[in-house]
Amino acid sequence: MSTLTQSVSPKQPPAELTPLFEVADLEVSFDNETGPRVQAVAGVQMSVFPGQTLAVVGESGCGKSVTAMSAMQLIPRPPGRVDGGTIIFEGQDLLSLSEEEMLKIRGAKIAMIFQEPMTSLNPVYTIGDQIIEAILLHQKVLPSAARELALQALRDVGLPAPEERIDAYPHQFSGGMRQRVMIAMALACRPSLLLADEPTTALDVTIQAQILELLHDLQKQRNMAMMLITHNLGVVAGNADVVCVMYAGRVVEYARVYELFENPMHPYTRGLFRSIPALHEQKHRLTTVEEVVNDPAEFRKLPGADRGVIPWWPFMPAENRPATVKGLSEYALHQIEPGRWVGCWRTEQVNAYPRSRPLLDCRR
Amino acid sequence: MLTYIARRLLLMIPTLLGITLLVFTLIALSPGGIGAGLLVSGGQMDAKGAAFLEAYIEDRYGLDDPVPMQYVRWLGRICPLKFGQRDQWDHSERVRRPRALRTPPCADWFAGAAAAPTSDSAAAASTAAGASAPPPGGGAAPSNPIADYRVASRRYAAERVSYSAARREFLRALADHAKAIGRKDLLSPKAIVHTSEFAAAPPPRDAVDWPRLDSAGAKMVSTYAIAMQSRSRLIAAIDAEPFPLAGVPLLPDLMWIGAPDLGNSFSKNRPVIDLLISALPVTLLINLVAFPIIYLIAVPTGMLAAARRGSWFDVLSGATFVGLWSVPVVWAGVLAIGYLANKQYLGWFPVSGLHDTHASDMAFLPSFGTTGWDRGWLLDTIWHICLPVTCLVYAGFAVLSKQTRAAMLENFNADYVRTAKAKGVPRRDVVLRHVFRNSLLPIITMFVSIFPAALAGSVVVERIFSVPGMGSLMIEAIELRDRELILANTTMIACINLLALLLADFLYAAADPRVTYE
Repeated sequence: MSTLTQSVSPKQPPAELTPLFEVADLEVSFDNETGPRVQAVAGVQMSVFPGQTLAVVGESGCGKSVTAMSAMQLIPRPPGRVDGGTIIFEGQDLLSLSEEEMLKIRGAKIAMIFQEPMTSLNPVYTIGDQIIEAILLHQKVLPSAARELALQALRDVGLPAPEERIDAYPHQFSGGMRQRVMIAMALACRPSLLLADEPTTALDVTIQAQILELLHDLQKQRNMAMMLITHNLGVVAGNADVVCVMYAGRVVEYARVYELFENPMHPYTRGLFRSIPALHEQKHRLTTVEEVVNDPAEFRKLPGADRGVIPWWPFMPAENRPATVKGLSEYALHQIEPGRWVGCWRTEQVNAYPRSRPLLDCRR
Repeated sequence: MLTYIARRLLLMIPTLLGITLLVFTLIALSPGGIGAGLLVSGGQMDAKGAAFLEAYIEDRYGLDDPVPMQYVRWLGRICPLKFGQRDQWDHSERVRRPRALRTPPCADWFAGAAAAPTSDSAAAASTAAGASAPPPGGGAAPSNPIADYRVASRRYAAERVSYSAARREFLRALADHAKAIGRKDLLSPKAIVHTSEFAAAPPPRDAVDWPRLDSAGAKMVSTYAIAMQSRSRLIAAIDAEPFPLAGVPLLPDLMWIGAPDLGNSFSKNRPVIDLLISALPVTLLINLVAFPIIYLIAVPTGMLAAARRGSWFDVLSGATFVGLWSVPVVWAGVLAIGYLANKQYLGWFPVSGLHDTHASDMAFLPSFGTTGWDRGWLLDTIWHICLPVTCLVYAGFAVLSKQTRAAMLENFNADYVRTAKAKGVPRRDVVLRHVFRNSLLPIITMFVSIFPAALAGSVVVERIFSVPGMGSLMIEAIELRDRELILANTTMIACINLLALLLADFLYAAADPRVTYE
């Protein structure tokens, strides 16, 4: 796999390199009653290949979920609005599809699971009804056959005694079990892409591990692509093939998981890693992200820094900012070396490089 | 579940007790007390007539008992579990056992008279009662228990009145005597004698007014003895069980189960249950038409307004409903009669009532026969209830549709709605199947709180359109201080309220599986 990616030639990408799902320059903004529109996503790029796990990391409000919701066209409009960009899935631009066409994709080809298993299931229907509803929407089967499929889906996610529990209501399940039900419901129609929006955040650590392992197994069985949105760098290290680090609606770093952990290139990524406590160290206090990104020296470590390749950071003091190209956005996702992308200021030098899409067709 | 129902039903008993006690207390505390409305016409009567009326009313309704005792008696009639001997029903009237007579005051002054009641006075009493039946036990023909009872009842009523009148006369004489001897302190402000003071010290035999006292007292004592005799005869006649016994015995002569007896209306002199049975269907009819209209219009409007929040439909429906809600029913009803029903204007609808005067002759369905167009009973009824139902309905939209809208909006942002959308559920189904289903609880709550109130009758609407429903009955009962009718009405409304609350609990459980009563 990795040999394939190293043979990337910008002129003619091989056919295998067509990603299943690719977000390009996506911009989404929200109406704000008390001020200017809030730019939630401002030029995000990412791609997912079949069977691959893309981890999207970043703090709350950085646009991870908005990106995923945009792919499903589930951004409430108004107040939300897609200002630009494309989201290509199986060759179609999802953003240009009508509501009827989206109904055939949601749940069938792209499924989504959410952070809150406690509230994400409808409390007044049995879990069986809710899974069967999804199956009947997308598969031409009789209700009795749909029930069989729902039972199978529950068996696949390891729910004990599914025949008895299929007629139970969500409140009769624990949080971990509910998340299994959510996964069963999302995967009942065998989607090719799963958008997992912080699937384990609300769960305790042992259940987290179980759920992630379950997702991993199902992904392997079905060669399903997964976009795993998370805060948790441990989850990233354990599950991701490719990592996309986001900040303020933009991608600040995009790399294979091992390379990212070995050598984080953007000061924000470094800040994230340094703020993780380590078992073998004894510290009075941990380094904060602010301490890293407030250090100007951190921004001069990229190869080519002297030639104007400076990591983009919205809170960089004006005197430290390099001169950017007029008339274009100040930010560009810049390929530092093969397989490594870092969000940089769009200086003349950066702008002179050919645009490269973040494509990394690799699996662990 | 059964345990829960049983517990709730048992808890209803103390609640009902509390409600009836409160209402009874309010009636008793109102100026004039219980039965004030009944005695108004007694003011101008002669002594005999007034005594007769008072005795009749007191006997019939037990108004001479203290208020708590009256309440307990009322409870005893209402309670299905009854104590003592089983009731007998003379047609629609319960056979009342005669209650104890008031003892004659100062009776020991006239001990001689009591010992030997003259046959003259007994005969006089019988003639006064107009009794022509043979004396009990003396007849040759086989005795008819019902006839015996009627004779005994009539005779006792007459003799009781004689005694009552004699007692009054004696008390008046005593009061005059007290004034004559200058013992004003023995008189209460209303010139009633404190007989207990007198009893200890009889006036001297040579006093000027002793002859008057003596003759009045002797008459009182002798009529008392006669009344007591015919009272025991009446009791014997009742004990002979002339009428079929009511209810089901549990313990012979101790405990039995019978239908609750709501008593007779003071003002209409009819069994209260008959009045309720004639008024309830009217109110039910109007409300069973009005309620579906309110729900079928308000709930979908609220849903649509929520689904299209901020649209012109949302704004317009909200403004219209709130506008309607702000129009007072009194005003709207009067305007409706004045313009829509008045022949001088449009005259499209009847002015009052529930049926045409000859509605009973109509066929049920409309027809076109030899006599020309006949709109039929059904159409006639619909035509008559148009305006009352409109007045009941128009103000009800606002609250319900706003409640529905708010509940829907709350659920639109719920996580499970997002899940449903992510599954690919079409928007219409998201609204109906996921959002609306979860918004049912406030709608159920609204139903439960409105429905009993509606059954109590919309007083204003029924008054304006002269509809003889529960609201009219209740307001009339209050105006006439009709204790039995007020109590029956409030008890019924309280029962319906409590049952509606119970029903709501079951509807909650049906609407939301998280609610259980195990």
